[in-house]
Amino acid sequence: MALLELENVSASYGSIEALCNIDLHVEAGEIVTLIGANGAGKTTTLMTTSGILRAKSGRIRFDGKDLIGVPAHEVVGLGLAHSPEGRRIFSRMTVLENLELGAFGRSDKEGIQKDINRVFELFPILGERRHQAGGTLSGGEQQMLALGRAMASRPKLLLLDEPSLGLAPLFVHRIFEVIRELNREGVTVLLVEQNARMALKLAHRGYVLETGRITLTDTGENLLKNERVQSAYLGE
Amino acid sequence: MENAPAIRNEGGRGSRVRLAWVALALLVIYPFFPFLDLAVELVTGESLRLDRQIVSIAIFAVLALALNLQVGYAGLLQLGIAAFFAIGAYTTGILTVAKYPFQLELWGALAAAPFVAGFAGLALGAPTLRLRGDYLAIVTLGFAEVVRVLLINLEGITDGPRGLNPIPEPWLPAWLRSAVDVSADAQRVRFLAVYFLAVGSVVALYITFRTLERSKLGRSFVALREDELASACMGVNPTRTKLIAFAAGAAIAGYAGALYACNLTTTAEPNTYDFNYSVMVLCCIIIGGLGSVRGAILGAAVLLGFDNVLSPLVTKLLQRATTSDSSNVLYSFSNWRWLIFGTALVLIMRFRPKGLWPSERVAADLREDES
Ligand SMILES: Nc1ncnc2c1ncn2[C@@H]1O[C@H](COP(=O)(O)OP(=O)(O)OP(=O)(O)O)[C@@H](O)[C@H]1O
Ligand SMILES: [Mg+2]
Repeated sequence: MALLELENVSASYGSIEALCNIDLHVEAGEIVTLIGANGAGKTTTLMTTSGILRAKSGRIRFDGKDLIGVPAHEVVGLGLAHSPEGRRIFSRMTVLENLELGAFGRSDKEGIQKDINRVFELFPILGERRHQAGGTLSGGEQQMLALGRAMASRPKLLLLDEPSLGLAPLFVHRIFEVIRELNREGVTVLLVEQNARMALKLAHRGYVLETGRITLTDTGENLLKNERVQSAYLGE
Repeated sequence: MENAPAIRNEGGRGSRVRLAWVALALLVIYPFFPFLDLAVELVTGESLRLDRQIVSIAIFAVLALALNLQVGYAGLLQLGIAAFFAIGAYTTGILTVAKYPFQLELWGALAAAPFVAGFAGLALGAPTLRLRGDYLAIVTLGFAEVVRVLLINLEGITDGPRGLNPIPEPWLPAWLRSAVDVSADAQRVRFLAVYFLAVGSVVALYITFRTLERSKLGRSFVALREDELASACMGVNPTRTKLIAFAAGAAIAGYAGALYACNLTTTAEPNTYDFNYSVMVLCCIIIGGLGSVRGAILGAAVLLGFDNVLSPLVTKLLQRATTSDSSNVLYSFSNWRWLIFGTALVLIMRFRPKGLWPSERVAADLREDES
């Protein structure tokens, strides 16, 4: 059974329909990417999954549980961490406090400490800046912090919304490397990316989203070779 | 080398030790104020009323700390704090005055008032805290007006404009009573009880709030104020967290109301608890620095210091300098009160938007702004 399964999910903002009968699944251990143009509904898909938005219809199952109607703050506790679009780190809190907040629902002090140390291992710069206010970090460092903060809840599934947004290539590579590393350690990832080429290279499978509908799905490799994908998202 | 100042971890041992010293110093010093004042009175025949000012300031500081919990910590724009203050005062009135059968000791009333006000906060907050900030402001403002008008009109219960009084003296053990009753002044006993209570409450609340800031709940307040969506993603329950802050703030405001009533020996008239009063409290936490515990206390001291000490003093001087024509606006300095408050607020917003004594967190990003 899939770790995450969306069946016929629709969502809308008032009268604006943003998602229309989405079917999507993520198996445990996979990296799955969701690509699509601006406004296709990628962010909406993640927000609906994590309970920030309420699905209008359809079923969402995670780890054998029904997610429809479960509020966002309870979803984290089930093992699904959502790192929302645009970093959204807490700028007045220190790096360490941001990470501790990522582990808000946990009470195993030692485990939390271990996971935070792991984040510092993956992103040493965050360790050096642990007592610095989040808002004073560079954009790239903030992205790392956002990723680290999501890891701190020790999730089974990570929803990442454009973790490389606005970063220089070096930072992008680092973020992707870490995602691969986390996946190797057993974290399942659903990744939304503008950088379709890198995302498809990294991912086991991918979905193409166009104006709220899934129009194509295949392995990452095959999507890279697909002509439609190449012309629309890979700029070839 | 790191040139980033940012935030030191305030959970450090240093600040805790310093805090303990401040608390200790206050506890040691404060019992002497009333006696100091008494001594001055005995020698000069004229009272500074220093102790009285400190009680007013302390009660107001408790109220300011209550509002700071709601507005400063949780970011809930509450414009009707006076209503909860009034609820606390009237609860005390009803539970203690001779008109009613309860006639609890002051101590009982002090314990009950926070519950009644906190429950009112819960009842008002539960359905409305989901509203966006500006709507919440209107709801709380409306609530406060309703409470005030009810207090005026339910004359059978509240004694209308006369207020409920007299609120009897608190029970004190006989040995304490005789030890304290140096001037054979019965009022003195009551006053001392209120004095210790009020100042002690400020110290206790200061310590509580500083501890809260380092706790999980305190962190979730900061997170929620900065980014509600991200907080929810981290597992913070926004509605519950806000409700806790709102109800707890209401309860503390109710406690302040109880102190206020037993200090005055009356609930005072309902119009005391008007919109202006709520705004005054808001002014004082903005002047001190939103979200800053020490700022709220300083703000209370500044505002009441102006009202109770500076204003009468200047009035006296003005009256000496000008002719005793009471129609002259210069005649009473307190006529200028709102003008001066308003100007002070504008100046602070312009030149020191984070308040006179902001919290470490806010002060840290003040430094960034300057650099
Ligand atoms: N809060 C909102 N209110 C109304 N419409 C919205 C809202 N948020 C998104 N939409 C609309 O829903 C559609 C999908 O938006 P969404 O943010 O999911 O796109 P996206 O695929 O993440 O785009 P991008 O790549 O630009 O981040 C868009 O047409 C957008 O205009
Ligand atoms: Mg998006």
